[in-house]
Amino acid sequence: MTEPLQFWMVALLFLPLIGAIAAFVLPRHAPIVGMGVALGVTGAAVGLCWQVQSVGTGTVALGGWGAPLGINLHVDGLSAAMLAMTAGVGAVVSMGAVNTFGGRVARSAETARPRQYFWPLWLLLLTGLNGVYLGTDIFNLYVMIEVIALAAVGLTVLSGSLAALRAGLDYMFASILGALLLLMGVGFVYLQLGRLDFGGLAGADPSGALVAALALMFVGLALKTALFPLHFWLPAAHANATAPASALLSALVVKAALYIIVRLLQHMPAPGEALVVLMGLMGTGAILWGSVQALRADRLKLLVAWSTVTQIGLIFVALAQAGVAGLAHSWKAAAVLILAHGVAKGAMFLAAGRIRAEVGHDRIRDLDRSPVRPALAQLAFAFAAVSLIGLPPSLGFIGKWMVMEGALAAGNWHWVVITMTGTLFSLAYFSRVFAGFLRFDRVEADVPGGVVEQRGRAPMDYAPLALAALGVALGLVAAPILEFLEIGRAGGWP
Amino acid sequence: MTPALIYGLTGIVVFGIGLFGALCVRDRLRRLLALNLCGMGAAFVLVAGAWRMPPDSADPVPHALVITGIVVLVSATAVALALIRRLHTLESAPEEIPEDTPE
Amino acid sequence: MTDLLLLFDMLLGLLIIGLAVAALRVRDLFAMVVMFVTFGLMTALAWVRLAAPDVALAEAAIGTGVTGALLLKTLYHLRRVSGTLHLPEALSERPPDPQVPRAVIAANAVMCGLVVIGLAAAFVTAPLGGPGFDAAVADAMPESGVDHPVTAVLLNFRAYDTLMEVVVLLAAVIAVWLVERSLPQSDPPVMGEVYEGFARLVLPGAVVVGVYVLWAGAVAPGGAFQGGAVLAAVGLLLLMSHVYEPAPAHRAAARGLFVLGVAVFTGVALLVAWGGRAVFEYPPGLAKPLILLIEGMVTISIAATLAALFHGREPGVQPRPADTSEGAQ
Repeated sequence: MTEPLQFWMVALLFLPLIGAIAAFVLPRHAPIVGMGVALGVTGAAVGLCWQVQSVGTGTVALGGWGAPLGINLHVDGLSAAMLAMTAGVGAVVSMGAVNTFGGRVARSAETARPRQYFWPLWLLLLTGLNGVYLGTDIFNLYVMIEVIALAAVGLTVLSGSLAALRAGLDYMFASILGALLLLMGVGFVYLQLGRLDFGGLAGADPSGALVAALALMFVGLALKTALFPLHFWLPAAHANATAPASALLSALVVKAALYIIVRLLQHMPAPGEALVVLMGLMGTGAILWGSVQALRADRLKLLVAWSTVTQIGLIFVALAQAGVAGLAHSWKAAAVLILAHGVAKGAMFLAAGRIRAEVGHDRIRDLDRSPVRPALAQLAFAFAAVSLIGLPPSLGFIGKWMVMEGALAAGNWHWVVITMTGTLFSLAYFSRVFAGFLRFDRVEADVPGGVVEQRGRAPMDYAPLALAALGVALGLVAAPILEFLEIGRAGGWP
Repeated sequence: MTPALIYGLTGIVVFGIGLFGALCVRDRLRRLLALNLCGMGAAFVLVAGAWRMPPDSADPVPHALVITGIVVLVSATAVALALIRRLHTLESAPEEIPEDTPE
Repeated sequence: MTDLLLLFDMLLGLLIIGLAVAALRVRDLFAMVVMFVTFGLMTALAWVRLAAPDVALAEAAIGTGVTGALLLKTLYHLRRVSGTLHLPEALSERPPDPQVPRAVIAANAVMCGLVVIGLAAAFVTAPLGGPGFDAAVADAMPESGVDHPVTAVLLNFRAYDTLMEVVVLLAAVIAVWLVERSLPQSDPPVMGEVYEGFARLVLPGAVVVGVYVLWAGAVAPGGAFQGGAVLAAVGLLLLMSHVYEPAPAHRAAARGLFVLGVAVFTGVALLVAWGGRAVFEYPPGLAKPLILLIEGMVTISIAATLAALFHGREPGVQPRPADTSEGAQ
């Protein structure tokens, strides 16, 4: 406990929990508490990354028992990177949320009640996310994703609209089923091994029960992370939530289940070629189907939500790019894409929310009819799209480059084709939005005598803009990021 | 043939029934019930796995896990039921459906 | 003798499966809830047979009791809203959903069948009664501070899981309050006079039972969650018999009760780490009082939370337009 690394790990877990309690008990001070905790967690994440960079991995044996009887927290490069991404995106989204749900005076009846509940739910969500990234015990991970699920459903239905409630219930059902599949998998791991920690999984011999466990857990987590064809709940849930909630759901929540899949692939014995190919095929389906739906979407937030489906698919293609043998390297490409997507998608949903708030609607075909020009939000959206499409020098570009490089090296040219197709599609569907940003002549054509252009700007526009710019700029420091990710993985993939 | 084997298989069948219900039943309340059946099935497997041939006493850890699982499942069920009630109220009074207002 | 018991096990297993199928197939929703509650009680019986009395108690109290109450409340609400409360065959409140195509049902049935066969095969080949935590738990029991192994696991070895489980409950009650925030006041199901008298008689006894179940958890089956559920039942009776009416002034107290368990648990976990120990590592000698303190507070929180999950709305919140009043202060 006296080590700084262990201190930061515990702080990352308990700071948001204490914050959630405070925000719930003191609803009037919730925005201040929430903002303070979000910044504090960011500070703790920076401290943690610094320590990981200088001293390497760290473990906390909760209760002093140690695995397998007790539960260990563990941090390595990948965990620290996920924690930092979560904290950073969370802090920026909190700034955006202070605008929506903050202040001592509620802006309208629409936000009066929700703002009481947003902060405790978001801080509980942050607790769950940090718990997943620090966790090493599969049953504990099950409890953590349930914390995440309940908080996430709460955030989905924050607006109280019928569409949001319907989407929230579908999300809840999918979430419960996914968690129970994971629980059944945990049961089979226990049957075979009699222990539940990652360390026990790593040394195990393959067996029927473990194959069943891996299959159950994979399907359950794929449902939670919305991998095609188990994505059905995602677009409605993410498109109908309020903007800060959408940003949290899309940028952070789906990553928790994705991260657990990466960890399971790392620790479960012999995932098998079939599973890896299946992941690639499901990812391919997600890229193609999600892209088509994004091209057809009539509303901006729906388009962004479908783009999340395609990006999740891309991350699975990244995992599958070089088969089982290549997992030792391909997880890095997936990790880079996870980080890139988290940063960019958080910025994009916030920007989409700002555009919708300024323009008054988010119908894509009417975006260019509005006399209001939310230029900063549009710029943030465009920067985020640069990273999601994968243009240099963004972090998304680095990730896609690694996917194609790895796939070519392994002779799997089909994954290269899929990645390229996904890139072209993303260019196409984001272009629909850019076209709406650029053309202004339709307003003048519609209104005789023309209209005066209005600026739709607010100080809050700088939050998503900074985040989106960060997503692009992080590509410039890709080499240190990759080195950081490999901390604690010196021995390579088992 | 042991009780653990019998009840473990029972649990797996219950899990399968719940899975089928969760996928195929349209009624919301019934679907939630099917998910609860799934949870019970998973709990059966853990409890059966903890059983030891007497006179050995059972492994307490899975028991604790199942208690935790039951509480978690009830929490999720309560939230889903609140959503079901709210949706039903809104859908039964179509003229009062709030607009899909911007946030 | 053993054979007779095994026969009983098989029959009970078949009955449980039959009840599961029946609960999904029966037309009337009320009958469905009854089937489910029966299913839960039979499940608890099966777990007694598997030497898991704690789990059986938790399942009977929470998995069956609380879930059943929640389902009945929801059913009452659905029928009241759609005006079919007193119709005997009130099944379909909404126009019937579009039927799922038969092909889809068949495909899903086949898939679920395959899942069951696959899992059963994996289950049979797994080393039943094989490796477990038995030895590790037995070694650590003397240092755990309690005598009952399940309690030791819940509140010491895997206390972190239990803390997060109470956090799940907290998240649930926040989500439920959020969902129901602008619902018009709906009366809870009314009890007859006889029941109200009964409730007043039973309440003190139920409190005693709940506290006993909590206390017994240190040495015998029982503990915070089961005790909390019994106390929550007390809360439900109080609410339904109108002995207690939630008032707006009680909102802060309610919030305090919900977080009490998490706050004390977190506080203890962090404070014991002060002297160079790990988080959750109780100092030797203090383990028992600390565990009892946590259990007591967690029980209160669980009871309040479960009762609130049943009650639903945050007390005293009026629907709009009074909705903005608090935010404007």
